[in-house]
Order: sequence, then structure tokens, then C-alpha cells
Amino acid sequence: MSAVDAIPGESTTPPAAAALREADLWRRPRRTPLTWARSGGLTTLLLILPMLLVFGAFSWYPIVQTVIMSLQSTNLVDPPTWVGLDNFRTVLEDPLLPKAIENTAYFAGLALLFGYPIPLAAAVLMSELRRFRGVYATLVYLPVVIPPVVAVLLWKTFYDGSSAGAFNTVLGWVGLGPYPWLQSASTAMPSLVLEATWANAGATVIIYLAALTSVNSELYEAASVDGASLWRKVWHITLPQLRGVLLVTMILQIIATAQVFLEPYLFTSGGPNNSTLTVLLLIYNYAFANSLGGDYGSAAALSLMLAAFLAVFSLVYLRLTRSWSTE
Amino acid sequence: MKSTHRAATVAVVVTSLLAACVAGASAKSSSSQATVTISVASLIPGSTPAAVKEFENQVAQFEKANPSIKVKPVEYQWTGPTFAAKLAAKTLPTVFEVPFTDARTLGERGQLADLTREIKALPYFSKLNPAVLAEATTARGKIVALPKGAYAQALHYNRKLFTQAGLDPSKPPTTWAQIRAYAKQIAERTGKAGYLQMGKADNTAGWILTTVTYSLGGRMQSGSGTSARATLDNPQTATALNLIKTMRWTDNSMGSNFDYGWSDINQAFAAGNVGMYISGSDVYTNLVQASNIDPGIYGVTTIPLAKSKTAGVLGGGTLVAVRPDANSAAKAAAVKWIDFYYVRKLVTKSQAIRNAKSLVANKQPVGVPALPLFNKKQYDLANTWIKPYINVPTAQMAPFTSRIFGQKLIPEPAVATQSVYHSLDTVVQAVLTDRNANIAQLLQQANTTAQDLMRRST
Amino acid sequence: MTRRRRRGADAPVGVISSIEWDRRRVRWAVGGAQLILLVGLVVVGLGPILWLAKSAITPTADTLSHPMSLFRNGTAWDNLSRAWSEVEVGRYFWNTVVLAIGSWLVQILVATTGGFVLSVLRPAYARVLRALLLLTLFVPAVVLLVPLYIEIVNPPLIDRSFVDSYWAIWLPAGASAFNVILVTRFFDNLPREVFEAARIDGAGPLRMFTAIALPMSRPVLAVVSVFAVLASWKDFLWPLLVLSDPDKQPLSVRLPTIQSQTELGVFLAAMLIACLVPIVGFLIFQRPFLRGTGLGGAVKG
Repeated sequence: MSAVDAIPGESTTPPAAAALREADLWRRPRRTPLTWARSGGLTTLLLILPMLLVFGAFSWYPIVQTVIMSLQSTNLVDPPTWVGLDNFRTVLEDPLLPKAIENTAYFAGLALLFGYPIPLAAAVLMSELRRFRGVYATLVYLPVVIPPVVAVLLWKTFYDGSSAGAFNTVLGWVGLGPYPWLQSASTAMPSLVLEATWANAGATVIIYLAALTSVNSELYEAASVDGASLWRKVWHITLPQLRGVLLVTMILQIIATAQVFLEPYLFTSGGPNNSTLTVLLLIYNYAFANSLGGDYGSAAALSLMLAAFLAVFSLVYLRLTRSWSTE
Repeated sequence: MKSTHRAATVAVVVTSLLAACVAGASAKSSSSQATVTISVASLIPGSTPAAVKEFENQVAQFEKANPSIKVKPVEYQWTGPTFAAKLAAKTLPTVFEVPFTDARTLGERGQLADLTREIKALPYFSKLNPAVLAEATTARGKIVALPKGAYAQALHYNRKLFTQAGLDPSKPPTTWAQIRAYAKQIAERTGKAGYLQMGKADNTAGWILTTVTYSLGGRMQSGSGTSARATLDNPQTATALNLIKTMRWTDNSMGSNFDYGWSDINQAFAAGNVGMYISGSDVYTNLVQASNIDPGIYGVTTIPLAKSKTAGVLGGGTLVAVRPDANSAAKAAAVKWIDFYYVRKLVTKSQAIRNAKSLVANKQPVGVPALPLFNKKQYDLANTWIKPYINVPTAQMAPFTSRIFGQKLIPEPAVATQSVYHSLDTVVQAVLTDRNANIAQLLQQANTTAQDLMRRST
Repeated sequence: MTRRRRRGADAPVGVISSIEWDRRRVRWAVGGAQLILLVGLVVVGLGPILWLAKSAITPTADTLSHPMSLFRNGTAWDNLSRAWSEVEVGRYFWNTVVLAIGSWLVQILVATTGGFVLSVLRPAYARVLRALLLLTLFVPAVVLLVPLYIEIVNPPLIDRSFVDSYWAIWLPAGASAFNVILVTRFFDNLPREVFEAARIDGAGPLRMFTAIALPMSRPVLAVVSVFAVLASWKDFLWPLLVLSDPDKQPLSVRLPTIQSQTELGVFLAAMLIACLVPIVGFLIFQRPFLRGTGLGGAVKG
């Protein structure tokens, strides 16, 4: 299952396509099943069959199943029984839920704080490079190609809380520390965000860089001729041109960080004292952590609640940002 | 038209491929008439090649003696979070291990095969320790597992660190006050953690906290069955937590990392970074198999008990069970394997010697302290059989082996055990990582959570 | 498209125009900032990886007690050989490769056929499917986790579980709405005349697909491939749930499982080996990588 850390695209409707829609290559006035098959309809269906089968079985059916399972009690031994809204009630009454929501919001917020402006600044600097841009790009993207599990386990050794841990040793050279990193509720989540930023910021930098370099430099030239200072150029030309990319990467990052699982699971298993317990980790615990069998219904219910929240959030976000764009 | 023909051919090919897939998928894996194949839990992932070789030796011996049975070893480790997934996905080997805590519940739910007939047919059935057998018997009298081993909690200590800290390794602590003092001394003189306690949120933190509570005379549950009540907020648990709090924050004798689970703490101990810690009496095997421990540093003693009638040492154990979907041939084969690999060496001299010789040849530990599965007499007898082959430092283990039988053995909380432990995990973590942890409040919350989980599991 | 007018060192490439660049203060300030950035990138981006390489061949005791020192007691090359033989990194690495190849093939198949039909052939139901895909794009992955797992364990029509089967990883990987939309958009941007001409020549849909669309779709296939391989390499939770047989597990699942039973030096060596292929692959294929991730959605024909 690939996470959709997607790239924004502009929506283009080529004019030729519109015209052809009218022509509609394969439509005939009177279609019987035979003419449909003979005119290539069957081939068409067969060609799209892989997509239909794969999506049907592994995307659309599970989505529907989540809704159904959230209203059932499933234990994989007996057939599922309908329990109405019981699962939702269990989830909402779970004392861990507010903690998980708070932690997830904290993670998303911190990740946005670190992972949004810093890559932008780096990209701006890199877009000014006349030579060696490739070197910078390679360096910045290198952490992204490291498998995430390796990155987390590597940083786990860095985060050793004793004064002989790698980070504590380095900080000790300048008289700071030793810090507890993952061993204290107050520093655990920031530690996670630090590693997550390291591992993912490079991709964002490259996206910004591509967007920055596609801005027409004649605009800047013209503004300079008019006497605009650096900051005014950035504010009035760069940012508006980049607005689409910036807004889309922000919402995509929020959606991705809202579903963070790997870092809390591998670094701290949700600890210490549930300070890194995220919503997805809670879902995982409902479904898979009880040695006597999982509560799949609650897991499905919480998944649905999270998805609903993200959907509403995205709609609100799009509505708000659209009103900004049309200024 | 060409394209229609081609389309039709494609359709036929695709359909027949799909049909073949479905047919292949629904065909059961059939065993031939003569041989039965069973998969069995072997070793923990990451065990040394020597340990793996030794296991394969045993398999070969068994297959030679039972030519109609084929045994396939599968790496296996029971942990709270992973077991359920394997159970649901039906990927457990035919023969697998479960702790005492879960076996009865699983048996009652029909998730373990009913082995009553095969087990009652074993020659030593009547000699099995009734308390141990009870852990494998459901409320309705079905026997669903055989005991693999029973353990009592013990205090393991690093003799080398003791010496370095100026302590006498042959005089391990006998009171909790001494544990605290020794830990402080070790931390001060060697810089290593003097005393360490498991703090991982995979139920092990709660398990050890329960152990300490028991040693002070407290209990986590009262009553049984549907009327069981959670008593996590008992005074002894509070005392235990305060003791850890003092050692952690005042004495600073617990090091700086607190998220150790069962395997991690063994690894840290073998690497010489831990002065003392509590775990099952049988961990020496893992210390050798996974971490290649230097035998000279290992020492073990009993956990100090308070002078109270209710104080005792937490006892647990592992059972070996069979998948519920095994047919009768597989069940018979499975019980034969369990008998051969786990139990026979405790009752038959020749088997005991053969097993010991094989372990020694592969540099695996023989003579690790264990608790009797039968009775003390049988236990002593079996130990005399393997005496020439014992390669573990028994003298260093004497503080434990000489005193454990005088200690009262207490079974783990009976209802929703793992869930109770899980509720305590976060309490331990809070105390270890937050100087201002409010112990009373944390215990109260944990108690409510545990009570709720207990109610839902019955 | 990047604009880069090579008119010498004074050519404006970004916000800073040629007028400003003439001023020495601007040049030095920006250059200084870029230098700091470079140093920062080397330390932060490259540093951890270099540390991993160093520690992989350092004795465990040294790594534990003095992590930042350089071979104070010599090297331990046997960490690498033990990682290869004891941890069997090679086998798990191969599993990762097999999983990546299978996922990639399924994704290419689904995306190209789907994109082609939706964009070029446009049957009556295409509009519904495109809307459905767009909706699917907005469903977060979390929603699929539990029911997909149950579906693999207890498939509705088939009488056996697909746990421990690579198909349980390959097939769901193909259900990427992003890929299909990417390819559809790409085909949308291709000139219609080519397909018209082919139709007039009597080519059927299959022919148009194999002879025209596929050859022309190399750029977008490169992008899809990069995403597919990267996503498969990074995948953790799904293989963790579905592949319980250690023989089948990829590196991402195996490494955490054995961490507490493996000596640190050997473990670090195993991690280094696990990193090498992605790093080397990236260094070799830098341009398509960076181009793909930077310009993915704006591929213009």
C-alpha cells in the first residue's frame, strides 16, 4: 500500500480532447451486445479489467467493509454480529482517545513547524545556485532514499539517553545535555518529529525547487527594474506563483502526519506513558495488540472517524484557501 | 474481426488462469498416506547458528525414531502483541507455545486443540504437578496443552560489576533495602545501571511490577471468574513504585534508558551494562543463545520477600499447545513431538542423557534452573542424571537454587492477565520518566482500566 | 521546465535579478548562506549515513562507549560478514527486491491499462470511473488497513488465507489511484491525431495500446516506476501484518524483529547493507528520480 505523499498537479483540459469527446471513437448509433463486442467494447473492458479487479478487491471493497465492520463485532472465529453504534461508543469512551488525538495533533503541528518553512528556505537558496545545484539536490534527497525502518532504528541508537549516546556525546562537546530524548514524555514527541523531518524534508525541498525554478525570471527582472527590494519580490511574485504548490503540500503533509505510525511504533511503542500514542497506533492496538484477539470493530470505527475528520478538514481547507486564491 | 478474436482469446486465457488460481488456492495441502508433517515452534528469531544447529539435531533424532512424522521447525517467540495476529491469520505452527496466563482462555474459546485423550495416554500423566496441569485445563476439564517449563521470578546480577563496585558476588542482596544500597554503589563506582526494571509497554513492565508487589505481599486481583475485582491500587504496589522512584530520581542508580523489554534487558545484561534485574529464572538460556554471555559474570538469587504471610514469588510458565484445526493424525504426532522434545528428558534417564549430550556438543546450556513440572523428587532425580553434563555455572546459581523451594510460589493474576499487565505498563513508565509522577492517581486510573478490561474478558 | 539561461555568472536564476547580483554584498550574502546550507546538508544529510558506515565496521563495545570516536581500537570487518551470514541480510534483501518487482509490475499494468482506457478509449462508463478514482484518492490509507487485513486472512470467496503470500502485497499495491490519475492525465495530454490516424488505419484498441500508447508513455512510466519502487521499499506496516513467516519477510520487517537479539555492531552492519542499494541506485539514477519527484504532476507532453 503506497502512501499518497503525492505531487500536486495542475488540472489541464486539452482542447483537442473536448472535441474528441463528441466524436467518441467507439460509439455506434444502435448497439447490440454483438456490435459492442465487435466494435472493440469487449477489448476495452478487458483492458480495464486489471484496474477494475484490483481496485474492486483491494480498494473499494475494503472501504465499504470498514463502514460495515465498524457496526459489527468481529472476532474471526464466529460470524460477525451487528452491534450498531457500540464500537463508536467504546472508542469515544476510551480514556486513551483524547491523548491519542492530542499527540497526533502535536506531531502534525511540530512537523509542520519544522518541515514546512525550513525546506522552503533551503529551496529558495538552492534556486539561486548557478552551479552545483545537483550536489545540493542529491545531499538533500539522500535521507529520503534511506528505508524508513533503517532511519528510525539508526536514530534510536542516536537517541540513547545516557551520556554515552551519540547525540548526547556531541552535545556534551559544547557543554549541553545529556538529554533523555525518548525516555521522557516531554522530549519523546519532538525527538520523533526531528527524525521524521530529517527523513522526509528532502522530498519537499525538491518539490519546492521545481516550482521555484519554473517561475519566469523575467517577472523578477521587471520588478527589479521597477526598484522592488528582495523581500517585496518574494512576497509579490514568488509566493503567489508558488501558492498552489505551497497549499497542496501543506494539506498533504497534514493528512500524512495525521496517520503517522512507523515512528511511534518503532521508537517508543507509544510511550513513555502514552506520550507518543497516535491515533493510528491506537487503531493498531485495538486490532492487533491484544494477545487474546483483537477488537476489529473498534479499530474500524476509529479508522472511519479519522477518515471523516480528514475529509471534513480537507473540505474546510479547500474552501478557505480557495477564497484566498481568488483575492 | 481480428480484434474480436484476439479479445476472445484473451478472455479465455484470463478466465482459465483465474480458474487455475482458484482451484490451486482451494486445494488443501494434503499429506500422503504414510507421513504426517507438522510444523513446530523452534527458537527465538535471531538465535545463534549453534543453537539452531542443535535444534535441527533434535529434529533429526526425532524423525529417526518416528519415520512416519516429518517435522518442520519454525522460528517463534510469544509476545503479547504478535501472538493474536498470528492466531487470527492462522500462521501459527502446528505446535506452539503460550504462557500460563492465556492458555485456559484460549482453550475455552476453542483456539487450542483438545489433547485430553493423547495426554492422558502418556505414561507419566499421573505424576504431573497438579498446579501446573491446572493451568492447561479448561473449566470443563479439557486438557489443551502440556507444560514446557515453569519458572519463578529471580533476581539476576552481574558478578563482575559487583566485584568492581566493591561488593561480594557470593553475597547477593537479601532485602529490598540492600538492593537499593547495592544499586547505588554499583552506579557510583562503575557508572552502569545498578538496578534496572523492564519498562516496555508490551506487558513486561506490568509483569515485573506485579512481581515486586507479590514480593511485598500485595495482590493485583481478588476473587475469581466473573466476580474478580482489580486491586491494582494496593499499598504494596505503591511502595514498590516509590522504591523505584527513589532509585531512579534520588539515587540515580537505574541508568538513563527505561524502555527495556524482556529481550532487550537480557541483551543489555549480557553486554555488561546492568547490575541487577528481575526476570524469569530460566533466562540464562536466552542469555547464551541470543547474546553469547560470558558465564563468569552471571549470578542469580531469589527475590527478597517481605516478612508477611502473603509475600511470595510470582511463578509462571510456558505451555505447549496444538492448533485447533490439526486433524487427529497431526495431533498424535504433535503430542509425540512435545513429549520427545519438552518432557521426556525429565522422566526418562536415557532421553535426559541423550538430550544433555547433544546440547553440550553444540555449546548450549545444560542445567539452567527450572521449577519441577512433576514433583521435587522427580526434579532432583532428573538433575542427577544430567549432572555430568551440566555446563552452566551452578555454583553461581546456588543463591537461587538453594532458596527457591523455601519460597511461596504465587500464580499470576487469573483474569485478563495480559490486559492487567498492560494497564500497569504506563504506570511504570510514568514513574521512571517523570519526576513528578503522581503514583496514587496513576494507580487509580490503572485500576479502573484494568477492572473494565477484566469485566469485558469474562 | 527549468529555465537556465547560461549567460555567465551574472545570469539571474531566481528571485535575485542580474541588477542585484552585480552588487558584491548581495553575492557574498547569498553565497555565504548557500555555503552554510551546504555545510548543514553535509552534516545533517550525509552525517548519519557516514556514522552508520563507520560504526558498521567498529567493534560493538567501542560504538557503545565512544560512539563519536574513530576506530580507537581498530576495525571490525567481521561485523559485515556476520551480518551477511548470521543475520542473513542477503536473503531478506532479496525478499525486498522480489516484493518491489512484483508491486511495480502490478502497478504498471493497472495504471497503463486503466489510464489508456479512461483517457483514449473513453467508454461510456469512463466518467463514472474517473470520479470514483478521484474519490478514492481522498480516502486515507488508514481506512483500508483493518478490512484489507481481514480480507487477506479470510478472503470472502476463497477458502484459504493469503497470509505469507506475496500476492497479498503485490495486488493491493496496484490499487493506487494516484498512479492511474497520473497516467490518465498524461494520456490526456497526448495529441489525439496519433490515435485518430491509427483508428483510421484499422487498429483495434489493443493494437493502439501496445503499438502507440505504451511506447509514448515512457516518461510517465518512469515517474510511476520511481514512486512504485520507493513505496515498496519503504513499506513497513502492511508486510509486518501480512508476512509472518520469517523466510518471506523483507528487510523492513525483519530488522526490528531481531534487534534485541543481535549484537549492535552486527546489527548496524546489516542496516548499512540494507541502505547500500537504495543509495547506490539513487546516485546512479539521480536525474529521473529528482525529475520525477519534482515535476510529477506537471508532466507536459
